[in-house]
Parts: sequence; C-alpha cells; structure tokens
Amino acid sequence: MTTPEVHALTGPYVLNALPEDERTGFEAHLADCQSCSAEVAELREATTKLGTAVAADPPPALKARVLAEIASTRQLPPLVKPEAPAPVPIRRKFNRRSFFSLAAAGLAVAGAGGIAIDQYRENSRTRQENEQLAALLAESDAQTVRGNLKSGGQATVVMSPAKDRAIVLLHNLPKLPADKTYQVWLMDKSRDMHSVGLATTDQSKLIQGGIVGKIALGVTVENKPGATEPTLTTATVIPMA
Amino acid sequence: MSEETALPWPRVVDPSAGSPADLMARVARGDADAFAQLYDLMAPRVYGLIRRVLRNPALSEEVTQEVMVEVWRTATRYDADRGSLASWILTMAHRRAIDRVRSEQSSADREQAVAAASSITEYDEVAEAVTTNLEVEQVRHCLSSLTELQRESVTLAYYGGYSYREVAELLDAKLATIKARMRDGLIRLRDCLGVTGR
Repeated sequence: MTTPEVHALTGPYVLNALPEDERTGFEAHLADCQSCSAEVAELREATTKLGTAVAADPPPALKARVLAEIASTRQLPPLVKPEAPAPVPIRRKFNRRSFFSLAAAGLAVAGAGGIAIDQYRENSRTRQENEQLAALLAESDAQTVRGNLKSGGQATVVMSPAKDRAIVLLHNLPKLPADKTYQVWLMDKSRDMHSVGLATTDQSKLIQGGIVGKIALGVTVENKPGATEPTLTTATVIPMA
Repeated sequence: MSEETALPWPRVVDPSAGSPADLMARVARGDADAFAQLYDLMAPRVYGLIRRVLRNPALSEEVTQEVMVEVWRTATRYDADRGSLASWILTMAHRRAIDRVRSEQSSADREQAVAAASSITEYDEVAEAVTTNLEVEQVRHCLSSLTELQRESVTLAYYGGYSYREVAELLDAKLATIKARMRDGLIRLRDCLGVTGR
C-alpha cells in the first residue's frame, strides 16, 4: 500500500517543502498510513532541534503585545472525544508460560494514561537529566529495577508510580548493525507491549504518563525503523515490581 | 506497520515550573500566567526560527506574534501523544514562516537567493555565536555527519524556506533524489541527535 515514492514524502513534508497540492495529497495518505505518521512525528522532532538551534531572543516589547492580544482572543473549545482509545495499542498476547515469572510479579493497578515522550533537548541537558533522576529518586515511592539484557548491556528503570513517571537508563549496549535498532517497550497487565521508543546507543529516557499499570519493561532488537510487535527471541523482560 | 513513538529524548523539566505539558494544560484552561511562562520558554525558539527563514526582523516579529497567539487560541487542541510541545509549536511557526515566504515571494526573492548561496556558511556563523549552547553544538555536529547533498537539501528547505522543487533546481538534482535526500538526511539527523555519546 505504501509505495516508496509516497513514503519518501515524509522528508519534504516535515520540512514544509511540498507545494500545497502535494501537501494536501500527502496528508490524506498520512491519515491511513500509521508508519508514515510515526515517521513524520519522529522526523519532526529532528527538525524541531534544527529550529531550536537557531533560537534568538525576540524584542522584549513583543511579549507585552502578545499578552495584550491573547487577553482579547477567545480560545477554541476542546475537541470532545468519544471514549479515547489507548494511545499506542500494540497488541501482542504473550504466551503465559514464557511470562510466568511476570504473572507472579504482576501489579494490578488500574488506569493507564497516555505515554507522552517529549523529545527535545535543552541547554545543559546532562545536568537536567541528572536533576530529573535525582528528583525521581527523591520521590517516596521511587523504585529501581534493573536487568542484564540478552543482547548485552544493562537496563535500569527508576520509577515513581505516584508521579506516573519513569526514567529508563540503558548502559553498555553493544553497537548494532546499521539496519538494527534497540526498541523499548512497556508491558501492561494484559501483557500487551507498548512501544515507547528506539535507541541505538546508551541513553536515558524519561517516560511521563502511562507508567501506572505497566508491569514490565521490555528491550528488543528490531530491524529499523522499529517493529509493531516485539521480536521475542531478542526480548529481555524486566519486571517492574 | 510500525507504530513506535521514537526519539527517546528525555523531556527537560524545570522542577519549579512543572513540565511544559503541565504548563500547556493550564494554558488550555485559559490561564494567562501560564501562557506568559510558556511564552518565555518558547518565544525565543519561535522567533529565532522565523527570523532565520524570513530574515526581516519586523516581519519576523509580526509572524512570531501570530504564532504565539495561535498557540493560545488552539491550546486545547494540543495532544501530547502526538509529539512534544516544542515540536507542535515550532511546526506551526515554520509553517507560518513558509506561508509568508510563498505569499510574499516577490519581496523576499532576492534575500532568499543570497541566503541560499551561503546557507552552510551562515549556519556556521550562527552556531559560532552561541557555542556555549550544547544543543547547537550537537545539531552542528549532526548536520556535519550528513552527506553534502543531504545537508543542503535539509537546510535549504528548513532554513531557506525553499520547496523541494526549488531545492532541486538550486542543487541541480532530480526531484526524486532531493525528496529522498530530505528524508534520509532527516533520518540520519534523527539517529545522530538520538545519541547521547555517553
């Protein structure tokens, strides 16, 4: 369904380099192409960094003008959604036997929020990451779990269910072939795996929301650009309990 | 096919201010103080990007105002599941800037042509001026990891405000090639920016 030709438009699209007619056509295609919209979201985060890299202070007087204008501007009403479906419903029923230990460790906590990962960096990123980690560790309900990955290296999860927030730290990951990527998943209590992102090397990753009700972290090795279902032979599952 | 939510960058949060998403939730409920904080956080990026594309300071200021008011007006429609707040706002800013480029082509033509001829040099100059900014260094480093054609395709479109047809013309390349270089250039950039190097 997705021809390479159409797929290649993700690049020009996020750069706003498509003429109006092609943009409209591509947006129609996007509505039906989940992999395209996932790619658009990712590439958009990359262009966001390009944008952030040229930040410049606006004239101070602008703020007063904007604030004056919003004071007389009515906001749009929110879109009222009928029963929102889960944000990333990647269904994969796991074999009960293979996750026996998980069942034992399963947390029965209701309600999973959206998984929102914010993907831009600021100045002093490392310092801020450390501060985030410190803040999370300071939560009274903070828990840490870690495990060795089947593919090598370690994953550590620091989480606070009360804050519905977690930081995943990946260490000493072996370098993968160029066409492979690590993929990080959260497993809910019905053993559905929800992709929360890709990694090609050591990094830390903050997950806000969607932690409550998740019983395990999974790390797999997948072909780029990532998979909709985890490849079980490469999976390491670390119970978050 | 795949539904991954990728680019695993940790959100940067000022613990005293609440996360940008929290701020945005307050803005959506009509909180003007929260909007003032959001302005401080985002306006430099919005203005910087728009100015980079449009070049004219007065026009850039005007478009920045439009974008920030639009952020206020449509705050209730922001959906954190679909991307970061910065991404949402900068996408809006870039699109507005491009709309101006296309609608005011006549007045902008000459400046843009000059800009195009020296896009890389200028990029370096801009980056030079703010070398204390780690993110700028990272972006520059990652841009330099692209092939020349990828880098030119991406920067001429994003910073120069050119359509892919115009980029193809400037780089004397086939349309399909430019479309592909824009995509694989951004993919490489994404992968590079996703690397902490630690």
